[in-house]
Amino acid sequence: MKLILSTSNIMISGETVIRHLTEKSNVELINSLRDNFLAAQQSSTTATTTTTPSSLPTWTKQDNDTLYIPTASFAHGLSEERPQYDITVKLFYLPGIPASRRCAHTREAIDLVLKELHVDSIDLLIVSFPGILFDADDDSEEETLSDTGSEEPDDFDNMIQTWRTLEELHAKGMISQLGVAEFGSERLARFLPHTSVKPSVNQINLKDCCVVPKSLILYARQEKIQLLTHNDCMDILPVGTTRELLGPGERGAGILASAPDATDGVQGHVEPQWVVKYTAVVKDRGVVENKGYFALADVGSCVQERS
Amino acid sequence: MGLLALGTALDWPEAKKRADQVRKWGIEQLLANWRRARGKERNALLWGDEVEYLVVALDAEAKKARLSLAQAEILKSLAQDEASWKEGNSPFSQDKEHDGEEPPHFHPEFGRFMLEATPGKPWGIDFKDLLKVESNMKWRREVAKAHMAPNEHPITLTTFPRLGTKDDYIQPYFAPSGPALRSQFVPDEIANPHIRFPTLAANIRSRRGRKIELNVPIYRDENTPQPFKDPTVNYDLHDWPEDDDVRNGAAKDDHVYMDAMAFGMGSCCLQITFQAKNMTEGRKLYDQLSPLGPILLALTAATPIYKGFLVDTDVRWNQIGGAVDDRTREELGELPLKNDRWRIPKSRYASNSTYISQDPRLRKEYLDPDLIVDEDIKKILIDGGMDNLLATHFAHLFIRDPLVIFSEDLEELDLNKADHFENLQSTNWQHMRFKPPPPDKDDIGWRVEFRSMEIQMTDFENAAFSIFIVLVTRAILSFDLNFYIPIQRTTENMETAHARNAVLEQKFYFRKDPFSRRRQNQHSSSGSNVSSAASSTDNTPPASPSLSPVESEYELMTISDIINGSADGSFPGLIPLVESYLNSVNVDVETRCSLASYLELIRKRANGTLWTGAKWIREFVASHPGYKQDSVVSEEICYDLVMAVDEMTQKEGRNGTVGWELLRGKRS
Repeated sequence: MKLILSTSNIMISGETVIRHLTEKSNVELINSLRDNFLAAQQSSTTATTTTTPSSLPTWTKQDNDTLYIPTASFAHGLSEERPQYDITVKLFYLPGIPASRRCAHTREAIDLVLKELHVDSIDLLIVSFPGILFDADDDSEEETLSDTGSEEPDDFDNMIQTWRTLEELHAKGMISQLGVAEFGSERLARFLPHTSVKPSVNQINLKDCCVVPKSLILYARQEKIQLLTHNDCMDILPVGTTRELLGPGERGAGILASAPDATDGVQGHVEPQWVVKYTAVVKDRGVVENKGYFALADVGSCVQERS
Repeated sequence: MGLLALGTALDWPEAKKRADQVRKWGIEQLLANWRRARGKERNALLWGDEVEYLVVALDAEAKKARLSLAQAEILKSLAQDEASWKEGNSPFSQDKEHDGEEPPHFHPEFGRFMLEATPGKPWGIDFKDLLKVESNMKWRREVAKAHMAPNEHPITLTTFPRLGTKDDYIQPYFAPSGPALRSQFVPDEIANPHIRFPTLAANIRSRRGRKIELNVPIYRDENTPQPFKDPTVNYDLHDWPEDDDVRNGAAKDDHVYMDAMAFGMGSCCLQITFQAKNMTEGRKLYDQLSPLGPILLALTAATPIYKGFLVDTDVRWNQIGGAVDDRTREELGELPLKNDRWRIPKSRYASNSTYISQDPRLRKEYLDPDLIVDEDIKKILIDGGMDNLLATHFAHLFIRDPLVIFSEDLEELDLNKADHFENLQSTNWQHMRFKPPPPDKDDIGWRVEFRSMEIQMTDFENAAFSIFIVLVTRAILSFDLNFYIPIQRTTENMETAHARNAVLEQKFYFRKDPFSRRRQNQHSSSGSNVSSAASSTDNTPPASPSLSPVESEYELMTISDIINGSADGSFPGLIPLVESYLNSVNVDVETRCSLASYLELIRKRANGTLWTGAKWIREFVASHPGYKQDSVVSEEICYDLVMAVDEMTQKEGRNGTVGWELLRGKRS
């Protein structure tokens, strides 16, 4: 079964958007998911909803093999005409998920965003490959290697392969501009010759210091690639966190079963596949009207074998 | 202050007779304009900053700093340059950095020693625009300087430390005690000679029935006499009837006494004006920025000296309020009401007293129950179709008399103009101003002006505060923030902001939870976070029985908590909100880094790591070898202070240069 987790518009939901300095930067996603689950639970207890046939909570919705957590209404689009907005989408491919699935994942994620915002195209899609960590101090891209192999560096060929998918969507007019995240100048130089649609954006995390390697600034300028900042963390939705979010515990949503043989929820392993963040900004006024996340996790005994 | 057409200005007794007519015509113009413009939509955010300068002439030989009264000549030569720029000859373009930017505009101000400069074109929200603000401010200063005598400098101190002393603090020198101001400290020539200004000063004095009266508590140092009796006051002057004021106790013990409009209106401010998308958004920003006024006043504090003495307050605000206070003794409550219509609790220059947004979050309890309103005018507006909240706002502004009336303007009412409306609107100097679109300029929409900030000594700081406020407005709109508190608390906060070192030592009423909890709505039927532009007619906010008591919604907070967030996380803080906003939009690396340096300045001002201008000036005086611990800021100290400030505007405290304590902090 696929689980689609959503935050809905986090701009109007209060403090989940505020990150305290000590917190990890995926706290926005985690808190706003939790917050949205809670709000949906509360409003479903007051509203009269037809009970779902299964044991699943009424504030979720099952559609064939997909479970929306919470029920996504897709009822509200943007309030002004499409040209007023800059719509940016950032897609996080998660560590440990086979690159072969990315083609399908990309389409899934983009479709959800288009449906949510009631639009048929986005202005900028930034993709974040797992395992790439930009280091502002020395411009050597560190590829985080760990013994468990769960964070293996992304294979260069896979990136190119993924980029082909994005170029197709670009050709169809669904995406106006493409971007990458955390690329250093060397990786960019290696990457660009393989692309027919060049990335127009490279998004880097400056943390608190403003040190950008000169080589990257120069190279980006030469290639007309805009260097944008972000504040996201690499491993945005770890498996453990997902279990906790959906699990039966005090801080969980009670979607997953409490024990392997329990019938109080969905059975099986949970494996987050991707996370997508979208923002719709009113261009000339700089007002963020809508921002939110979708995340997709596979669950059950039929979680695909890793290829 | 925009300059108005010349004409025959009426003296007070005559002006008073025509006050009703001006008000009536002003309201008709407002209604006509409101009907035309209420549906006006302007999709772009445009905004502008106004920076005001003192023109100070340095006399290196005598070691004296004097105010230069050369405003007219400087403006004339600036205007010539602007004209030749328009003809295509650019006298400005020696500087490549500003290619493509329109040259700045310069404007006269009340003080003849002042200049005001605005950017040539309003700013947008394109983040590249934000990067230009500081360099444009520096450019303005350079352009201004280039049109001054070599020893003259545009200085952004709020007030000249020795304005109104016995020595020759102005150049050229004029003796005090002229017919318009009747001040024993400053000459009439201190004011801009345009007929509007002397008339304004004279009519305020005349309406009030005596000179204006400012008493600022003296800062008591070791050797300050006790009680302190302002030694500059002359009790034996007999030129004007108003010279009796001091013999009747106008000058109070332990206070520095001042008696003319120039002591207030001669102060420099940093004001920011925003164009809103439409009237609805403008009204929302007016309300939401209002509680921030006193906070930003305390945070920008830069006014610890008056008339050659260290005083015990840090900001200019109340001195300006007092300097244009035209209220009669009856209106002030000193005499029973006989000729006047009501007692008025505030000066025309004061914190604002109304909320105007048709916002469901605006609770009745936030409004001032004792607000003075001209009910007849309110009725005209409501009969004309205006909603209750906005009608109340304007009927409150229109309790005042017009001060400067040109007889030529009273011949015919032109509903396509706004002159009579502006006569009242622009002499209500509240800390927020809600500005309808000018009838003759189609490209300008509804605007809101944020007016409480003190000018800072360097352009780095002025840019930082301007941009901070702009980003706060974006965060307000994006997160739909709610800063409402009862408006009387904002009035109290404004008083609190005056205290010496209020930024660190005082607490301010602020709303505990700025978020609008509308998450529930998203899951029910109506969940749009964008307020509709349609304006309903009736709008007295409903009393809210189901909500918690208003008193539980706010509490006293430190400025550091308000700006940086509280340590226990209960209040998020304006800077974290702004950063969260910035994390939600695409910002390029270069912009984000300059924005970071601006936010850093504000963060550190709020938590005390960096000093306010007021503290730095106090420390400068205290550590000056010529200071005798007697609160006196001598000519020599004043000269050195101005020299230091001028150096600071160039070097900005880098590498431990003068002013590092308020700009950079140690070792950076």
